[in-house]
Amino acid sequence: MAENSGTDPTVDSNVVENAASDETMIVVTVKTPKDKEEIAISEDSSVAQFKEEISKRFNAKQDQLVLIFAGKILKDGDTLNQHGIKDGLTVHLVIKTAPKATVGGTSQSSASSSGTPQANSSVNPSAAPNDSTTPGTGPTPASTQPPNLLSGFGDLSSLSGMGMGSANFMEMQQQMQRQLMSNPEMLSQIMDNPLVQNMMSNPDLMRQMIVTNPQMQQLMERNPEISHMLNNPELMRQTMELARNPAMMQEMMRNQDRALSNLESIPGGYNALRRMYTDIQEPMFSAAREQFGNNPFSALGGNLDSGVQPSRTENREPLPNPWGPPGTTPSEIRGTGASTTTTSSAGGTAPSASNPLGINASGLGNGVFGSPGMQSLMQQISENPQLMQNMLSAPYMRSMMQSLAQNPDLASQVCTTSALSAQQQLMQQMLQMFAGGGGGSSSTVTPEVRFQQQLDQLSAMGFINREANLQALIATGGDINAAIERLLGSQPS
Amino acid sequence: WPSATHPQLEKVMAMAIAFIKVPRNFRLLEELEEGQKGVGDGTVSWGLEDDEDIMLTRWTGMIIGPPRTIYENRMYSLKVECGPRYPESPPFVRFVTKINLNGVHNSNGVVDTRAVAALAKWQNSYSIRVVLQELRRLMMCKENMKLPQPPEGQVFSN
Repeated sequence: MAENSGTDPTVDSNVVENAASDETMIVVTVKTPKDKEEIAISEDSSVAQFKEEISKRFNAKQDQLVLIFAGKILKDGDTLNQHGIKDGLTVHLVIKTAPKATVGGTSQSSASSSGTPQANSSVNPSAAPNDSTTPGTGPTPASTQPPNLLSGFGDLSSLSGMGMGSANFMEMQQQMQRQLMSNPEMLSQIMDNPLVQNMMSNPDLMRQMIVTNPQMQQLMERNPEISHMLNNPELMRQTMELARNPAMMQEMMRNQDRALSNLESIPGGYNALRRMYTDIQEPMFSAAREQFGNNPFSALGGNLDSGVQPSRTENREPLPNPWGPPGTTPSEIRGTGASTTTTSSAGGTAPSASNPLGINASGLGNGVFGSPGMQSLMQQISENPQLMQNMLSAPYMRSMMQSLAQNPDLASQVCTTSALSAQQQLMQQMLQMFAGGGGGSSSTVTPEVRFQQQLDQLSAMGFINREANLQALIATGGDINAAIERLLGSQPS
Repeated sequence: WPSATHPQLEKVMAMAIAFIKVPRNFRLLEELEEGQKGVGDGTVSWGLEDDEDIMLTRWTGMIIGPPRTIYENRMYSLKVECGPRYPESPPFVRFVTKINLNGVHNSNGVVDTRAVAALAKWQNSYSIRVVLQELRRLMMCKENMKLPQPPEGQVFSN
């Protein structure tokens, strides 16, 4: 509201419209089923004052007017502000032909029926259904879990921090979107892998994988809804269905693309999201750091600052456009927000509210599995038999190998090398190691396959002579560092 | 830690979970915006019941009774619940304002999904608005348009 007596601080200074010069005017569209008018009114007005204007414009008596905004009836004593009515929004009008009593009647019913905290109106316990009570078909507020899927989620609004999981996932999803934009094949490749498919078709297995991850555990603690999801076989199946189906995922992403671009303009909506981002980032990332020594998130091309700093002021910048070319989108974000900003570069990227993982989209061309992090992980596995042992003793590992054992076709499929992408080969190699039960490779594996990830790594480093690389790797038994030394010793590069 | 070695797969799963949850939220935010901008023909309105509801679950809807029916000029308030699987699953809808309409339970205002095509044959491209508009259309049907109605201002009890 205006602090200065003579100046209208806001952009839309329609001071002309109203006598008072220190009021901020907004233009609200008033719509009836037949008609539409734009009415300028002070943003601090009461509904009654608004109705006064409307009655003039529509030539109707004030007490015949019923105003509806966002599903609620506006009472005379309310203010526009209270209902979130801002410039450019639309209010619905019904001109009642019946006398005032009816208007009062409906207002009354709406007050009790909406039962919402419309600033002054409290929930009417007698007639109106309470917020927290719902009919039998709806979700129950208690955290008891009747068979209804929805009731597993209960009255979510009563749980503090609800939806924060979404925020974090939203971020992850944004990253995923970016990855997919830069390498749409990646996901399909991962998912096409028969073993992955197999795992994905086993809800128990997937669930086990997820719940045994401490990072996820923490997330689940903060967001009980996630455990509910995991405990619900039907929903898990649906989730996995989605995960297995890159086309479906992309479809969903497309749908959200529009939503993303509108997000900023939704009053309250963006703030809600931003709140969610803020509250989930810290624990999530510190959990990730603890858990993953080699920080797989960094494998995505960025690195995490300790204590991610989301914007402390209103972040008005649009969320990244996942359809934007990689590398440009994140840089749009950076530099404008109040959060840490770094220009997007091939190296690390400081996280911002919109990009909390600090993902540098331009670095994602190789996809997650081909990334250095993954590769180093693989290397660790190959070099560290104990690690291998640990992995093998994992419950889900057993199931996986059982599937392999029961399904020799699957195993052999996994082992073929022809025309596989780098990612698939990597995955394959991983699986071979598991199936092989140790650092050694089975006899069906050629060195080229066996050292695929090292080969990739070497070529990424600039050792372009694949033959030489391979020889070096064979000589050193897959030890990349030793192989590099060999190569450096024998080559001028 | 064994699970540490499958971060990617877990991540994929987490993202898949996100893909379930997030589209829902984004979609609902879209609907929120549309409600505030008055998208549609002005005969229905909808919005969040509580602005602080970050799960975007509980919505209020308003249907303006269609002209030339017994519902004319009445305003019907509804509660719409969008569960976690929305928009893959349809919302739960019930009338708060008392109404006599086929497909709406007389006792509690709950809308029978079988009676409303949009709910019975729900598609994820449908929305709260679509449901409200359909209910309004039902009011215009021959079988409904002359049904005797309770006095204005009454609401369904729980």
